[in-house]
Amino acid sequence: MSRPGGRAAALALVLLLAGHLARAGAAPPAPDTDARAIVDRVDRLLRGESSEGELTMVVTTRRWNRTLTLKVWSQGTDKALIKVLAPAKEAGTATLKSGEDIWNYLPKIDRTIRVPTSMMMAAWMGSHFTNDDLVKDSRLVRDYEIAVASEGVHQSARVWEFLLTPRPEAAVVWGKIVLEVRRNDLMPTWARYYGDDGALKRTLTFGDYRVMGGRLVPATMTVVPADRPDEATVIRYASLRFDVILPPETFTLAALRR
Amino acid sequence: MLAPIEKNRVGPEPLLPSPPLGERGACIRNSGLGLALRLGWRNLWRNPRRSLLTIGAVAVAFAVLILLVGLVEGIARQMVANGTRLMLGHLQIHDADYLPGRSLHDTLGGPEGTDLPALLAAVERAPGVRVAAPRVQGFGLLSTGPRSAGAQLVGLDPGREARVTTLLGALVEGRGLAGASPRSVLLGKTLAEELAARVGDEVAVVTQAADGTIGNELWRVAGLVQTGLGALDRSLALVAIGDLQALMGLAPSRIHEIAARLDDPEGAEAAAATLERSGALPAHARARSWRRLAPELVDYVALLRGSNWMTILIIGLFAAFGVLNTMLMAVFERTRELGVLASLGVRPRQVLGIVVAESACLAAVGLATGLGLGALGMTYLVRHGWDVTRWTEGITVAGVLFDPVMRAAWDWPGTARVAATLAGITVLAGLLPALRAARMKPVEALAAPVE
Repeated sequence: MSRPGGRAAALALVLLLAGHLARAGAAPPAPDTDARAIVDRVDRLLRGESSEGELTMVVTTRRWNRTLTLKVWSQGTDKALIKVLAPAKEAGTATLKSGEDIWNYLPKIDRTIRVPTSMMMAAWMGSHFTNDDLVKDSRLVRDYEIAVASEGVHQSARVWEFLLTPRPEAAVVWGKIVLEVRRNDLMPTWARYYGDDGALKRTLTFGDYRVMGGRLVPATMTVVPADRPDEATVIRYASLRFDVILPPETFTLAALRR
Repeated sequence: MLAPIEKNRVGPEPLLPSPPLGERGACIRNSGLGLALRLGWRNLWRNPRRSLLTIGAVAVAFAVLILLVGLVEGIARQMVANGTRLMLGHLQIHDADYLPGRSLHDTLGGPEGTDLPALLAAVERAPGVRVAAPRVQGFGLLSTGPRSAGAQLVGLDPGREARVTTLLGALVEGRGLAGASPRSVLLGKTLAEELAARVGDEVAVVTQAADGTIGNELWRVAGLVQTGLGALDRSLALVAIGDLQALMGLAPSRIHEIAARLDDPEGAEAAAATLERSGALPAHARARSWRRLAPELVDYVALLRGSNWMTILIIGLFAAFGVLNTMLMAVFERTRELGVLASLGVRPRQVLGIVVAESACLAAVGLATGLGLGALGMTYLVRHGWDVTRWTEGITVAGVLFDPVMRAAWDWPGTARVAATLAGITVLAGLLPALRAARMKPVEALAAPVE
């Protein structure tokens, strides 16, 4: 399956996003907050205790374009369920993430298939996300050393630029991450992901900041793989609720088929 | 042990011309090479035991080298045959972008595909091409209940494939694809074990289709294949070409590969060039010989052949030292005789010729005997081969299954090169004693003690 690498992370971010946006929005930025605390806050922005949302995912490639409508439930960092609502041909297709495992349900053949380790870097649902992006639960503050790379102004907003380099013991796929965050509301504007060789692998751009589920969140995220600048996966939240009560059976194989 | 030279003088055919030497000396000079050879030949048999031993050494050296060269040639041919006939074929045609990434979008003729029957017919019309087979390839996830494994999906035309490669002949269980119901799949044996799938079971297959959707289908296991190559047995899933096209969302006109079998594998380079020039291929298509497709196989075969030379030189040197020793002895024990020759007016160059002729005769007899011995061994090794199953089992080299019964094959140019090398080394080894003989001063030589 094609194009591993770039896309997947975004998806994880989507899931994460849901959660933490909410929390972060509430807190006013402390003027002397250090880099670590800010990044932690942004990181949490993308991971909620629990969330429920609807979104569209538009995948643009050289060969084809497709738009999926997805419903996403998440709980903590290790449980998520994603169902395809549209198009009709693919409706019912679902992905369950539980810890390190991913299962896909395919309604056409009525089978649930566990994604083996060897396929973790394969594309998820034909997007620019990989399966690995779904399972990754690494926390930025846990896995990376964080430093303020620069301060400046971006689109008339004062911003910080953080440089994240992986700790030696961290099992992460990136060589470094550069993250830009607005100072006034701690909203992320973009993140650039670099490989071990120092080359840019993909760019994640945040936009359309709005209040959803009571929190200020970036409602759109765009992933562009560095080696295919004409391709992209765009995620746009239509609705998002936080700290919802989800029945425990939400994240089971049985629920996956339903 | 040396015979006194007087013995020769009383022989029925005197070795040396007797006086008057004016005429006879001229005779020696005139008949040059022929006489030197005759003298060399006769000198050779003055000490038959010693000569025979040295001849034996040269003969055994040559025979061993013939067998070595023959075995290596046999192994090389076997590897090429095994490497090409399992899956590679002698020639493959792809879209220029298909290799090495093997993107499912890079089909022959682009997204529009190609007129497949016409293309196959055109390829088979090319000189030297026996038969061509179309293929669609992809990667997918196979799953049976809780178990799943990545697989190399190969869609093929069973009738044609069977005439190009032995892939379908590797069936060890169940029935083949020919005449099987739609959505039948043959799995590599190890892959089937990993999936705990048996013949008759259903497996789910999931892949990314050409339109970005998730291609998914249920296939029924019609049989298991075992090629002996671990990498293939662990990953192969063979289906009818139409089933794979349906799964991957490819139109029937879209294929990734054509593999062809030729009359002669050595003609692959030329056939590929002819095909590319002919205009019969779709735009942007490339034909590549097995040499281009499996360079590691080519390198390995070259390495095999090249490594022979080490052995040839080492064994050759041993033979050369034997000859050197023999000829030094021969010259040494004939010191007085050579002194007589010199004082009779035989020129140093002629003496040199006689001694070199003797080592040449030695080499010739040795090589002839060695050829006989070697041919005898080769006859056996060509027919029955050398079964090394005892020591090895299922070894793969350069991605090719190594046949445990090594069959030799005559490599005539190689054998001729070995013969020439041995002859060269032997004569060269004879040159040193010959120079010594030629430089001998008559007075000193005649003063040498008679043994």
